[in-house]
Amino acid sequence: MIRTPLRPLARILDARARGENPDAIERENIRLRGEALRERARTTAEGRLLMMGVLFLAAFVTVGLRMGTLAASTPEEPQLGDSAPAILAQRADITDREGRVLATNLVTHALYAQPPMLVDPVGTADKLVKIFPDLNHDRLVKDFTGARKFVWIKKKISPEQLQAVHDIGDPGLLFGPREMRLYPNGSVAAHVLGGARFGAEGVNSAEIVGVAGVEKAFDGWLRDPANKGAPLQLSIDLTVQAALEEVLDGGMKLMDAKGASAVLMDVHTGEIVAMASLPDFDPNDRPAPLTKGDASDSPLFNRAVQGVYELGSTFKIFAVAQALELGLVNPTTMIPSQSPMIFGRFRIHDFHNYGPQLSVTDVIVESSNVGTARIVQMIGPERQKDFLGKMGFLAPTSVELSEAPTGRPILPAKWSEISSMTIGYGHGLSASPLHLAAAYSTIANGGRRVEPTLVHDPRHQEGERVLSEATAKRALAMMRAVVTRGTASFGDVRGYQVAGKTGSADKVKPTGGYYKDKVMATFAGTFPVTDPKYVLILSLDEASTFVAGENRRTAGWTAVPVAAEVIRRVAPLLGLRPEGNTPDVLDGIQLVVAKAGSH
Amino acid sequence: MSYLESNLKTVPTGLRKVLYLNYPLIFLLTAVSCAGFLMLYSVAGGDMTTWAEPQMKRFAIGMLAMLVVGFTPIWFWRNTAGVAYFIALLLLVAVDLFGAIGMGAQRWLEVGPVRIQPSELMKIALVMLLAAYYDWLPVEKVSRPLWVLIPVVLILLPTFLVLEQPDLGTAVMLVLGGGFVMFAAGVSLWYFGTVIALVVALVFGVLESRGTNWQLLHDYQFKRIDTFLDPTEDPLGAGYNITQAQIALGSGGWAGRGFMQGTQSRLNFLPEKHTDFIFTTLAEEFGFVGAFGLLMLYAAIIGFSIYAALINKDRFSSLLTLGVAGTFFFFFAINMAMVMGLMPVVGVPLPLVSYGGTQMMILLSAFGLVQSANVHRPR
Repeated sequence: MIRTPLRPLARILDARARGENPDAIERENIRLRGEALRERARTTAEGRLLMMGVLFLAAFVTVGLRMGTLAASTPEEPQLGDSAPAILAQRADITDREGRVLATNLVTHALYAQPPMLVDPVGTADKLVKIFPDLNHDRLVKDFTGARKFVWIKKKISPEQLQAVHDIGDPGLLFGPREMRLYPNGSVAAHVLGGARFGAEGVNSAEIVGVAGVEKAFDGWLRDPANKGAPLQLSIDLTVQAALEEVLDGGMKLMDAKGASAVLMDVHTGEIVAMASLPDFDPNDRPAPLTKGDASDSPLFNRAVQGVYELGSTFKIFAVAQALELGLVNPTTMIPSQSPMIFGRFRIHDFHNYGPQLSVTDVIVESSNVGTARIVQMIGPERQKDFLGKMGFLAPTSVELSEAPTGRPILPAKWSEISSMTIGYGHGLSASPLHLAAAYSTIANGGRRVEPTLVHDPRHQEGERVLSEATAKRALAMMRAVVTRGTASFGDVRGYQVAGKTGSADKVKPTGGYYKDKVMATFAGTFPVTDPKYVLILSLDEASTFVAGENRRTAGWTAVPVAAEVIRRVAPLLGLRPEGNTPDVLDGIQLVVAKAGSH
Repeated sequence: MSYLESNLKTVPTGLRKVLYLNYPLIFLLTAVSCAGFLMLYSVAGGDMTTWAEPQMKRFAIGMLAMLVVGFTPIWFWRNTAGVAYFIALLLLVAVDLFGAIGMGAQRWLEVGPVRIQPSELMKIALVMLLAAYYDWLPVEKVSRPLWVLIPVVLILLPTFLVLEQPDLGTAVMLVLGGGFVMFAAGVSLWYFGTVIALVVALVFGVLESRGTNWQLLHDYQFKRIDTFLDPTEDPLGAGYNITQAQIALGSGGWAGRGFMQGTQSRLNFLPEKHTDFIFTTLAEEFGFVGAFGLLMLYAAIIGFSIYAALINKDRFSSLLTLGVAGTFFFFFAINMAMVMGLMPVVGVPLPLVSYGGTQMMILLSAFGLVQSANVHRPR
């Protein structure tokens, strides 16, 4: 054993000299050194403990102070910082003319996930799929277990679904409150309202963007906070609209038509009281646009505004009214009506041959193409074009729908004499039913132009004069005769004195020429004839009905009975009082003119 | 021969041990746990069965474990410290292996009906081993580089395993707890200064690494740092917990809303309301007074533990007591700082109050070690 270190060598040597045991001295020395060492360790440890105590105390004091400041602070909900995009909510409601709600907002929740916070991604995905069967399970699991930090799951969920998701209880599933657009009346006035979708989406609100109809046309106004939540009041009357749609739908099915449209317009203001296009859709759940085929076959297509059709014989009244206005004819002027009429290399046919001549009134009552063409010849193309322009047929309607500009009339490339003659009886110029409604309103209101509008405003009034009052009355009297003894005899609704004109235009083949068996059947009418208040335009696309041993496609058999039913239903809703006796005379004009010749 | 062995005769034996338990500590631990039961009853909406009852059962078992550990001679614990550390390390490896098969952060190990969290076990085992190490190591060697390297390795080994889970909170706790024992053992302050300097440099490095291809942390960990720095930036996302907690504290005011009257926690505003963020419920319902009261209880527990360590002349006992007290301190200090927005959210429960079995059992058993050190102190 090596003795190391015998340090107090001097003492040991001394002790040796004195004969003492050096080992004892060394032991004593080791003990002393051990004690000194331990003493040093203790002082170090105590120093350390002191430092620790100070550290602990500092920590306690910090926590205590923080507690105090927090307790003294007023609790404040945190506000979103500037980093979050400000999303405007609170889109204005849309109401009908009586203030009944057509579109409003509903607070709902969006469901999203933050996968890093999910406790049990796979189990949560299982449970979510049970609540929302349309979710794709594998996709969800992939999203939840992958690198994504944020996953939208559903853009809007019902309160029941909200509770069910709450009950899953996974902290990684989160809800964002937001408003959604709600159309409480479902498909009623679908094409007018259009629809909305979510625009910019945040977790705590989402922007609502109008995608069609008035929602799009008034998008800026509806979301403008300056309006302070004032609703947009449309000219639509909800009850009338619903009745119109119901009858039109029944009529469309009864007449085996593939589509239908109707416009009911206030003749004095141009306000559209009801407007429908079938087939329709539910704006709460807008279908996707067609990706192939004809866009006009989509339920989204608004036949009354976007659809431009050759409207056929309904146009004849414009030629006659203009001729009356120009003093070229009067109602009893006889017009040559031998069919076919040969003009250059063109032949103009009538449905029947009406004999050598017809009075102007009977040209309308019998709907003679030849007679109308002769009258247009008197007017000439320039004056006709000018007149139709004043009636609004040369430009898209200005109605407040985002689709309105697409309803651009199709005009002949060259407004030649033959064009003018065919346009006179409604071929060669395509326009929308809404165009027709506005033009008929001009005749019905005594000759003043109206602009079609969907907004209810007491300041709406008639525009510039296009026809004299007398001309308008004469034209009205002829239209009344069409109903009492002409092609629209099914349209004689007792008590409401309907006047109108039918039109059965062969549809244009996309390849050129006309279909022989496909007809756009239109009834354009106004009521009551003694003081016209409303114009109704009703079109059935490819309607046909089997009556009296024949397949009937003309408007008199298809569109007119449906229109009559519409008037029967909506006139009371519009507050019109049925008159017991139909007057024979309108402002000195004989209404029921004895028909020349036999029926 | 250590101080303890040379004074073994004065160590109480048999039933007399009961007299030498550290009763103030038992009382304080019970008081804190009772505050926990009360809060768990409250956050469950006045329901015992959800959280409060299971927690009480665990407390009862934990107290029993504390007494058993406390009556076991302290030298038994000193001699088995290495074994405990080794077992805990194996369990951690097992968790990492099974965690790889499972998904997300798997921190638990299922042993029959019992779910244990080896990382919690490791917190105590590490303190035990380090205390035993410095008890064995001659005092003069404490600051020599080689003898400093050994405990550093002992600390970092489980820390990396825990980081793999990943559990940042526990990793921080292990480093702090282990470092604390080294500090108490008297390792030269230079080492600590160096380490702190390195940590600061590392933090800068980590922050700089963000977005580069040598990114050192997970994105969500960066997110937590961001959220901590500005919780209002994303108040409904990751900052939610922090802001809601601060609202709860603020709305409690000085005297609180009254028992069972808390809104933030009751209305489900707060996730983790019964675990990491239970302090907010207490602060809201009992206000500053209640929160400060709890703070004082914790301070008293630490205080009594430090006193017990000071009067104990056995190095292992003293270091172990300090280590347990330090771990306990870091638990609650990190939790409170986190809840009160003084620190990023790292997921550390409020000791003895938050709902959680392993945490309760381990902490009470650890205080069993403190009791053992107290009982078997030479007098």
